[in-house]
Amino acid sequence: MTIEEKLDLIAETLDAERSNIKPETKLCTLDEWDSMGVISTIAMLDRKFKKVLSAEQIEKLDTVQDILDKMEE
Amino acid sequence: MLISFSLPQTILTNEELEKEYDSPSWTASKIFRKTGIKSRHIAKNELASDLAVEAGKKLFAEHGISPSEIDFLLLCTQSPDYYLPTTACIVQDRLGIPTSAGAFDYNLGCSGYIYGLATAKGLLAAGIAKNVLLITAETYTKHIHPLDRSTRTVFGDGASATLLREEDIVKIGQFVLVTDGKGAQNLIVPTGAMANPRTEETAKENEDANGNIRSMDNIYMNGPEIYAFTLRGVPDLIEKTLIKNNTTMDQIDYVILHQANKLVLESLREKLEIPADKYCIDVEDIGNTVSSTIPIALRRSIDRNIPQVKRGNKILLAGFGVGYSLGATIITI
Repeated sequence: MTIEEKLDLIAETLDAERSNIKPETKLCTLDEWDSMGVISTIAMLDRKFKKVLSAEQIEKLDTVQDILDKMEE
Repeated sequence: MLISFSLPQTILTNEELEKEYDSPSWTASKIFRKTGIKSRHIAKNELASDLAVEAGKKLFAEHGISPSEIDFLLLCTQSPDYYLPTTACIVQDRLGIPTSAGAFDYNLGCSGYIYGLATAKGLLAAGIAKNVLLITAETYTKHIHPLDRSTRTVFGDGASATLLREEDIVKIGQFVLVTDGKGAQNLIVPTGAMANPRTEETAKENEDANGNIRSMDNIYMNGPEIYAFTLRGVPDLIEKTLIKNNTTMDQIDYVILHQANKLVLESLREKLEIPADKYCIDVEDIGNTVSSTIPIALRRSIDRNIPQVKRGNKILLAGFGVGYSLGATIITI
């Protein structure tokens, strides 16, 4: 997956405008980063990248880049 | 085993929630998309004991059982009428169960039905009781702040009653039970018991980062962490349960997990690779009734004549959540 495709996937997962999703975007600035958004992200990472985040890892997610970092194939 | 259930009168729909919340991100259709739930029953004027009595009465009426046959009552609730006396004692009296019966409450949530089956099996197998009435009665909505969308959209109230008799001992398989208190703070009503008595301070409402409002007197659920815990813990729980029961998923006819919400259930179904036709998802008009979800889903599956749920079939049941507490078993219906 290219970075662009990964960003597309993040936008789709969060049900957010693709133009708002850039690597440096701070998650707390997104309306869609509520508990459902976090859950959808956990679901996506598990389903597509076979990774279930721990509580600490969830806490540490600060920017879109942090999510990208978890999307290793 | 015979099962009946009772739901409180008042129904709360997504449309009503949409009006209350008056926010573009919480329309009725969005709530449904996020949770798979359209409506849930709310115990406005009913207590857990009322729902328990209703469920018990329905079981007696629907299955032609007399209360005088019951020699043990187990009541699972996390919203008892009182700290003491035991709500089960009150329910015994109201149901007309003989005073020669044993009765107690136990405090569990989403795993409660599984632990109830385990306890009932033990009582029956040890010859301590011959007819165990297992009731789950939950009114989580009484703990919920109306403006806490994270919990108000998902939880509903409801009660179930299951009669387990000696002939059911062989129908209840082996159990896998898991407890992890590290997750205690992730689903909690922080105040009102001994740790944090209620004060003016604890009643103060606060808004969280997601715009949800609650006080320390209300239930708090860390949705993302609970979801992650479920994805981490439930597949392992189920695998161990299959092994302990000397069976495989292919030989299971139907799977009923705790009906938390559609997203969790779909995620687990994918992870466990269970075909949709043998996997129960039944939340749309009822929501998450905590310890009542499994028995209610089981009874409704039977009522709907779902082919995988016919007599003699093997059903895998798994509950998981608050505590953290998890449990699973396989029953033959």
